[in-house]
This record gives sequence, structure tokens and C-alpha cells, in this order.
Amino acid sequence: MKRAEITAGAVCVVFFSFMLIQGLDLIKLKRFGDVGSGFWPVISLVVCLGLSIAWLIMTVVESRKAAVQPAAARTPAEVAATWDRRRKVGLSMLCLFLYIVVMPWIGFVLSTLLFVFAFAVSLGERRKWVLAVSPFLVTAMIVAVFAKFITIPFPRGVGVFAAFSRLFYQ
Amino acid sequence: MIEHYLQAFATVLLPQNILAMCLGGLWGLLAGALPGISTSMGVVLLLSFTYTLSPITAFCMLVAAYCGGITGGSITSILFGIPGEPSSVPTVIEGHSLAKQGHAAYALWVFLICSIYGGIFSVIVMMAATPLIAAFALRFGPPEFFALTVLGLSVVSSLSGKSMVKGFLSCFFGLFLATIGTDGITGGERFTFDTTILLGGVSFVVAMVGLLAISEIFIEAEEPFKEFKGSVKYKSMRDEMPPLSLFKSQWANLIRSPIIGTVVGALPGAGATIAAFLAYGTTARMSKNPEKFGKGAVDGLMSAECANNASTGGSMTILLSLGLPGSNTTAMMIAAFMIHGLQPGPLLLSTRPDIVYGIFVAMLMSNLFLLVLTAFVGIRLFLELNRLPYSIFSAVIMILCVIGAFGLANSTDDLYLMFIFGLVGYAMMKFDIPVAPAILALVLGDMAELALRRSLLLSMGDPMILISSPISIVLLLGAVISIVYPLIKKPKILQGG
Repeated sequence: MKRAEITAGAVCVVFFSFMLIQGLDLIKLKRFGDVGSGFWPVISLVVCLGLSIAWLIMTVVESRKAAVQPAAARTPAEVAATWDRRRKVGLSMLCLFLYIVVMPWIGFVLSTLLFVFAFAVSLGERRKWVLAVSPFLVTAMIVAVFAKFITIPFPRGVGVFAAFSRLFYQ
Repeated sequence: MIEHYLQAFATVLLPQNILAMCLGGLWGLLAGALPGISTSMGVVLLLSFTYTLSPITAFCMLVAAYCGGITGGSITSILFGIPGEPSSVPTVIEGHSLAKQGHAAYALWVFLICSIYGGIFSVIVMMAATPLIAAFALRFGPPEFFALTVLGLSVVSSLSGKSMVKGFLSCFFGLFLATIGTDGITGGERFTFDTTILLGGVSFVVAMVGLLAISEIFIEAEEPFKEFKGSVKYKSMRDEMPPLSLFKSQWANLIRSPIIGTVVGALPGAGATIAAFLAYGTTARMSKNPEKFGKGAVDGLMSAECANNASTGGSMTILLSLGLPGSNTTAMMIAAFMIHGLQPGPLLLSTRPDIVYGIFVAMLMSNLFLLVLTAFVGIRLFLELNRLPYSIFSAVIMILCVIGAFGLANSTDDLYLMFIFGLVGYAMMKFDIPVAPAILALVLGDMAELALRRSLLLSMGDPMILISSPISIVLLLGAVISIVYPLIKKPKILQGG
């Protein structure tokens, strides 16, 4: 975890440094008597950069202290559990990302139907009746409330998918 | 003033507004009761339902959800021993102990009566205090507003959890996010990288949905199945109605605890959790039977419930009178105001009294509806929800997040931003970086920057204008104390993060 935290701290340092360089260009953008567009972001970014460096140093120091003490070896079951957790989170992120990407192409109805199924599977759901019934039930309720009742203009998709979406909402 | 109240009652009691309060209250009860969904997340998810509603109907729904969320956290605390909200921890300690002793209905009655009493108490205080504070705040110019926003941001040291460095990093990251988009004074683009997505800035709602709700679901995804453990034996609310003598004997507690709740709720950043613990701790210290605490002390349960519900009125007072969000949930309320083209603050009372008085009455009525909803629907509903597969429930929450972000501008670009904020929020939670300071800073950052730059424009660049009035000095001193005090003496209840 410390290695991951060191990486995160380093990423923060790089990100805020990059943004600070961008922000410095904004300082000259100002009206008479004004401190300028860059004043506030530069102050925020300088503090962010300082705090990121402090976090990175603190984490490195802590990890060195921890390295002196021998750590207990992890059992294969613990390693497998960690990988299972990571797999589930990764899959759930992938499901959401794909949902957002495909929604404009295949429409809200179909993408939601597929998303509910895929997301439930990614979280470890294996009961057949839940996987068979829930996507249809959830999609029907969501479409009824948000597309029909509140009339949010959801993406319809393109081509045949648009025609399919129009069966449910205009 | 009387005519404003009469008009507000007439409006709030329209059928559509009563329906909105009932639905909002039920949703709030649900959100507060289920671990993994906080009250603020419940309010965020509800925002998408309010886009097409009239402002007053939308606020009827949202304030009912806010009050319901604080109340709902205690139902699962008593029945299942699971605190739906951090503020419900004292309720788990005392309420669940009572339930395990076979007095679940008794504990539920005490919680319900005290919650609603605490809520109504704070609404009455809010009705009296808001116009006075707002009238005072009308004297504020840009320097005073800058000092006020600094005071609002100063709570970051209370919200920082274990590490101040991480808390402040989160806060300044939020301040940076608030600068993205078109500059309000020069009209120049900042950090947009020539894209149109960021031209209008980072939307509160999109950022909040991502940082709070999406990230929370990713965190929950690491767990196996979110299954509730079995509830205690419970038959009917009619089983064990508490006697009137119980409340008579606790009169001092019933006066002290809602006062603590309202005052603590009004302090930016303090909120329901500190209010509940402070009232609970005070009652424990003053109790004649302190040895009963932790084993089902009914006075402890009463004080915690009175205080956590009373904090809602305190938080809303500061939001309506000064435009300052004291907690995550009231920050969501600011987003709701903006969605409906309103700006909370001292001017709102004079420009839209219908909204402000409507909110007063809606909060009052919501508390009364919650009494009925919880007693007759809420408790049974939660016993049934115990059977719902968490995987499907999470999928529904995720879809509601997507709808909330999409419905704001009917743009899929916002969905990508929401996803990125979800990943950022997940990383922040994994590395113990608190999300609340970033949200608070995102809400207040724009206000603070504009106030500072307007002040400096007025003084032709002289920074002494920031400390030129007694109000600014007092507010800035308050901010310094608010930052320094937790560094010196951090409350034990916050040390756990």
C-alpha cells in the first residue's frame, strides 16, 4: 500500500507542477487594479504542490521505517482475496465506462439493460433469477420515471437503435 | 411576516408538495438507513428528480430527504446494529443494546419521538434566527464576504480526519477545481485546454456525484455482497409505547440536547455527527447512572437523537442566511438552489421570501410527515429491504448517478467528467484523503475568489481593505481559531477519521 501511496504522491506532484506551469501563463491576464486571472489558481496550485511534496516525503519516511521491521508473509488466500477485490473494482469501473461510451450509440434503454446485468455480474451476483429479471425490471422503472414522467431527453442511439429507443420514449 | 407564513403554508400544503415531501422523506429514510449511502449522497441522487419541478416543490422534496436521511440512519442502527450514518453511532450503542434486550419497539419509539422533537425544535430556532442573521449580513460588502468564505473554508481542519496535510491538500485541490472555466472578471479561459467541456467550469453536481457517490460504490464493490445481518426480534410498534413519565423525567436532557444540536449544526463543518456525540457525552457526564451507558441507556439514546436531528435546522439557518454550506448535505442544497436559478444568502430573504418561508414550513411539515412515515411505512420497509440483493441496488444507484449528471445539461460530456471524478474520489478514499474539504472548497472557491478580487479592485490593490471593517476582523479571527483549535485540541471522536 505504501508503494501505491508513494506513486499517488508522485503523480500529484507531477500533476500540480504541470498545472502550475499552465497557471503561470494566466498571471498576465488582468484588468487595471485587478490581481489577475492567475493569482488565485497559482496560489492554490503552489499550496497543492507543497502539500503533495510533504505527503510524498512523509510516506517515503514511513515506508522506510516500516521496511526496517520484517513484515509477516501474506498467505496465498490473502493474496487471492486482494486480487479478487481488485478484479471486482476494475470490472465495475469498466462497466460504468462502457455504459457511458456506448450510451450515445445504442441508446439509453439498451445500454441500461446491459449495464445492470454486467454490473451485477461484476459484483459477483450469480443467482440466475436475479440476473434474468432485475435488468428488465430496473430498466422499465427507470424509463417510466425519468424518460416518461420527468421527460429527460436520454440518448436514443443511432440507426436501428434509435428506432428501438423510440418505441419507449420520443 | 405573518402573510409570508400563511402563503408558505398554503403553497407547501398543495397536494403535489405533500407528495414531494412524502417521497423525499421516504427516499431520505432509505438513504440514511442503508450503509454505503449517506444523506448527502441521497440528496445528490434526488437532484435529478427535481430538474423539472417548480423550485418550491423541489425544495419540499429535498428538505424532506435531508431530514429523513438524518432520521433514517437510526432505524438500521436500532434494528440491525448498523449505523446508516456516522451520527447514528451513539444510537447503535444504546438503541441496539435496548433492542437486543428485547425492547426494540421501545427503542424505536424513543428514537422516533426524540428525532422529530429535535427536528421541530431546530426549525423553530431557524424561523426566528434566519431573518435576523440575514438582515445583519446585508451590511456585508466584498471584504466581509471574502472573510465569510474564509471562515467557511476554515472548517477543513475539522474535516481532515487523521492527516491535516491530506485534508488541506483536498481543500486546495477543490479551490483549484473551482478556478477551471471562464474567469468571471477578465473573461479569460483557465485550464480548459481549448475544449468546450470545461468552458463553463466544473459543475458542482457532476463533481459531487463523482467524488461522493460513484467513488463510494467503487469502494463498496470491493466487499463481497452487502448483506444485512439479521435484525433483532420485532413485532409491532404497539408493543412497547414509552410512558409520558419517561419524557417528564428527562426534561433537562430534552432542553439541553436539541440546543447543542442546533448550535453545533450551525457551526460550519461540525454537523450531525459532532452534535450527536457532544450531546451524548454531555448526558453521560451529567447522568445519575453513568454505568448504564453502553448497555442500553435510554437517556443517551434520547440525547443523541434530539441532537442529530436538531443539527439540520442549524445548518439550514446558516445556509439560508449567509449562503454558507456547513456540511456536505447543505453543499448539495447550494447546488439545488443554483439549478433553480437561486443564490442562497442574505438577499434571498428579500428577493424570494416565498422560497425561504416555503423551506421553513416544508422542514416543519417534513418532520411531522416523517413521524407518520417512519412509524407506519419506514420500519416495515427496511425489514423488507433486507432481502434486496446489493448488486442490483448498487446498479440502480449507479444509474441514478448517471441520470443526475446527464440531466443537468443533457450532455454525455458531463458523464465522462463524472467518471473521472469517480476515479479521483476512489483514489482519495483509498489513500485516506478526505473528500469533504474538496467539495466544500469547490462550492466556496468561486465565491471567495470573486470577493477577494472585487475587494482589491475597490481598494486599487491595497490588501488592507480585507481587515478594514470590524465584521471582517471578527470573521477572519473566527477562521483562524477554527483552523488552529482542532490542531491544538482535536476532539477524540474525530481522531478516527
